[in-house]
Amino acid sequence: MSQARFACGILACTAVLAAVLAADGAIHAIMAQTPFGGPRPPAEPQIGGIVGWLLARQSEFYREISATIRAAKSDGSAVWTLLVISFAYGIFHAAGPGHGKAVISSYLVANQETARRGIVLSFASALMQALVAVLIVSVGAWLLNATAKTMCGAEKAIEIGSYALIAAFGARLVWTKGGSFIRALQASRPEPALAMAAHHHHHGHDRPHAHHDHDGHVHDEHCGHSHGPEPSELAGPRGWRRGLGAVVAVGARPCSGAILVLVFALAQGLFWAGVAATFVMGLGTAITVATIAVLAVSAKDVARRLSAAGEGGGTLIMRGIEFGAAGLVLLLGSGLLFGYIASERVTCF
Amino acid sequence: MRATLRRLSVLLPLLSLAGAAEAHPHVWITAVSELLYAPDGSLTGVRHAWTFDDMFASYALQGLETKIKGVYTREELAPLADTNVEALKEYAYFTYARADGGKKEKFSEPVDYFLDYRDGQLTLHFTLPLKTPLKAKQLSLEVFDPTFFVDFQLAKTDPVKLVGAPAGCQMAFQRPNDGTAVAQKLNEQTFMNGGENANYGAMFANKITVDCP
Repeated sequence: MSQARFACGILACTAVLAAVLAADGAIHAIMAQTPFGGPRPPAEPQIGGIVGWLLARQSEFYREISATIRAAKSDGSAVWTLLVISFAYGIFHAAGPGHGKAVISSYLVANQETARRGIVLSFASALMQALVAVLIVSVGAWLLNATAKTMCGAEKAIEIGSYALIAAFGARLVWTKGGSFIRALQASRPEPALAMAAHHHHHGHDRPHAHHDHDGHVHDEHCGHSHGPEPSELAGPRGWRRGLGAVVAVGARPCSGAILVLVFALAQGLFWAGVAATFVMGLGTAITVATIAVLAVSAKDVARRLSAAGEGGGTLIMRGIEFGAAGLVLLLGSGLLFGYIASERVTCF
Repeated sequence: MRATLRRLSVLLPLLSLAGAAEAHPHVWITAVSELLYAPDGSLTGVRHAWTFDDMFASYALQGLETKIKGVYTREELAPLADTNVEALKEYAYFTYARADGGKKEKFSEPVDYFLDYRDGQLTLHFTLPLKTPLKAKQLSLEVFDPTFFVDFQLAKTDPVKLVGAPAGCQMAFQRPNDGTAVAQKLNEQTFMNGGENANYGAMFANKITVDCP
């Protein structure tokens, strides 16, 4: 019986992930119909599907950025065009399934976070990303007149650092969520083998982040109800500090595109236009990431409601989903760190 | 627990796909390539001329000291060319040659390389010698970045030249936006090296073939 419940939990877990992925695809499809302006380059890659389309659009916007900055030198009004293009680029850039979005969404699912916090975290991390890019270029290129090689070295170091941060962040989530998951397992199925495993993870109990655990209780008072945010979680400085980890882990790594735009703007003598473009790009990115984050949180809510319909298995299933999401952050972080997931990497040459 | 692990292992490929889709170009290169043949009719190497897009060119030139502002001589660009060539090694020079559908051929380190800057365009010239010169009925040469950070496009006019090739050799090339190449490449490449991710950029490969009698 508990096995059936377990299988149900895994199903719910898969459903959440599938929903997030499907929503991702849906967003691509919606944007496919948005007639963002700009002349098409003659040689448009005919790589099929949404991804190909997305790449083509991104390339277009990105390439127009340099042309627009050039134009802005003689015609100030081109700056407005620059801002519009940068905004669109930001939206599209983040629409490809990227790790930042995945980390934030998984973090929100792992911790019982609200959509509102998801939105705030998305904007904060995008803002931080823009700030880091502006900082690197203003200090590196503008003040120190460093060469590309030096700057790229710095970028690489920051990149590795931020991946390590994501992995560490994920490991911490796995540790705390693993504890609650195993306790939930133990409570629903007190077999010797599992009790052993649970005992093994017993150290997890006294961690401050275990405050969501319902030690040993199968019945969760939130079962069947949408788990609303507790005011202390939202407003308290403690709650925000918790999210800061996600913001720093995701936001520390600047976008290579922004760096290139900034250096180009600097070379053209229009650094401020590059800075404005970078922040507008960040705004676009934030909107996309926030959308995905909200979808992830809603998917979890649906899963909670579905799983609570069964007899008493809700807690186990929800802890399982949270544990899975925590594991995802760890997997992403270590995957990026050790190069298994070749995300957009910094290429120095 | 085991079921969870199994489930995760199913999800992993999805994740790698996500990583792949994230990659999109930040550097555009317009490529011109010459295939160099020895008098005995064997291919000895490839000579590339890669012109960077203006944004990347600004980035690459950032912080370089020059005598005259905005003018970069070959000597002043030499250290940057060293860096380029050195860094390209890690990416196998984005150049993949196969003889008669065999394994990827190995290249030695580039020779005769330099950067030039003309009309606001930065171009990297380098010769990539094959470790062992090869004779092939059908030679294929692909130029692409598997992770698609760099987008290679063959130049509009005369992007490929055969230098000293035996009479009767026929050259053909496919640009990545030529739809026919895509499906084929996906099959071959995706499964060869295990994972869509690593070979995502193969969809955007420029493929040159030379058939010799």
